Amino acid sequence: MKDHLIQLYRARPKTNFVRLSLLVMALLISYTWIGGGFLSSNNSIIQRTENLERFVGELKPYELRGESFNIYSYLSWAKTMMAEKGWQAAETTLAISVAAIVLGGILGNLLAIPASRNFASNFNRDHLNLSALLLAGPARLLLIFLRTIPEYVWAFLLLSLIGPNAWPLVLALALHNAGIIGKLSAEVIENLPDQPQVSLHSTGASRLQIMLTAVLPAALARLLLFFFYRWETCVREATILGMLGIVSLGFWIQDARARNFYDEMIFFILLGALIVVIGDVISTLVRTHIRRIF
Amino acid sequence: MNAARGSLCLKNVTVAYQGIEALAEVSLTLKPGEAAALIGLSGSGKTTLLNTCNALIQPTNGAVSIDGKKFSEMSSQELRYARSRIGFIHQSLSLVPNLRVIQNVVSGRLGQRSFLGGARDLLFPSTNVVEKVYEVLDSVGIAEKIYERTDRLSGGQQQRVAIARALFQDPLILLADEPISSVDPVRAKATISLIREICKKKGLTLCVSLHNLDLAKTFFPRLIGLQDGRLIFDKATETVGANEINKLFNLPDGCIDFGPLTSKPSMLGKSLE
Repeated sequence: MKDHLIQLYRARPKTNFVRLSLLVMALLISYTWIGGGFLSSNNSIIQRTENLERFVGELKPYELRGESFNIYSYLSWAKTMMAEKGWQAAETTLAISVAAIVLGGILGNLLAIPASRNFASNFNRDHLNLSALLLAGPARLLLIFLRTIPEYVWAFLLLSLIGPNAWPLVLALALHNAGIIGKLSAEVIENLPDQPQVSLHSTGASRLQIMLTAVLPAALARLLLFFFYRWETCVREATILGMLGIVSLGFWIQDARARNFYDEMIFFILLGALIVVIGDVISTLVRTHIRRIF
Repeated sequence: MNAARGSLCLKNVTVAYQGIEALAEVSLTLKPGEAAALIGLSGSGKTTLLNTCNALIQPTNGAVSIDGKKFSEMSSQELRYARSRIGFIHQSLSLVPNLRVIQNVVSGRLGQRSFLGGARDLLFPSTNVVEKVYEVLDSVGIAEKIYERTDRLSGGQQQRVAIARALFQDPLILLADEPISSVDPVRAKATISLIREICKKKGLTLCVSLHNLDLAKTFFPRLIGLQDGRLIFDKATETVGANEINKLFNLPDGCIDFGPLTSKPSMLGKSLE
């Protein structure tokens, strides 16, 4: 019995793929560590420690630096910061993210329709006919183009086109996310069970009708999940893109850093993190709810 | 207007997938109002045959025609209309699970509606449409489920929704591919009997593929036997002999009767050894 098991074990189908990739990974790590310039540094350990101490010291609000720790004075400082710049910046950040995801969601889902090969091939089971390639091909290329250009680059280009207001950021996020949402939605649509679609096709329904009747209800839950997931990302990105000069949180982070006001900088960074967390919580709640009702 | 409404004719139909013939030189004619059962083992070509009848599969050779008009010669408009008059009840349930029963039934008639008209039927159906759906659901015995979500129904009830959807198309021809594969034997009999009754009453041409030989014999006046894509026999039920049935199911004469056959007997034989 035991011998037989050993025999079976020896005869098991095996591939060296995992072992080989582990080896390659180990080699790559040692190569980058040695060859990547991580080891040489002009700063000594002592210098680094000093830098760190100074930095941490400057994180304390400038006005409160002489005093002993008092939570109320910190809170009132935070309140002034919020009143001066914080609320407005947080509001702008949120507004940009919402406008961007709504536009991006609409554009992405509209493009997802021709990009899904089952729609393009008129819900015939064989997906490789010419008309399908002619419709899905360009749609997919467009989606790839939209998402391969980073939000930051889109924003940079649009900023010089439209000028300094919130629209370049909104459009940049919308375009990039349309590319991502379009791709994800197209995948969802293609991977739905095709029975309902084929059976409607066989009763003479047009492909838009099939889209509305069989595809949309079945895919809706997942499309909404992607929508809210990308909204989370948009909140984060809207913060960062402010660094280009639009008055979202990122602008004040950049501004504070440029003026060496590290206390303000860390305040806005934490505020940004808080907004992202709130966005995450809302999105998670909505997504849980969607999962439950569909 | 010609008198023939709902006749179905296959002439030398061959369907090949990558060189393998799923159907070989099949010819048969169904007259309007006629009912026939398609019998044979899994993989004998029953589904392929039915799918050629509503142009879901184009034959590699030969032609399928409805009321004398070939599918291959129809414009896409004509094809859409022809399809809209052919009801098809599929093997696996082909309903949209998270729609209401009424929406699934209404979707049967999309082929006869414009995009907006279909959308309206689906989202804001008129009283007229609702009443018609209720009527159809009533005829299959689940009228009170009209506003239920489809995936909340049992398998048997869902099968009835699928039948209702096909009937709502107001078809001339009704095709059914293993309509009872997802229901228990008692319901299977009731379902087949229901389909048969409705077709008789409305004068629809009916072609059903079945695994269950007993049901085929009980309810259908004509049996069509398929084996490896070939037509083995096509005649009135009472004239089909036991040896023909045995040959169809690859049973040597005098072998044990397996009853409703669901897999190749040769495989059963092996597991018995």
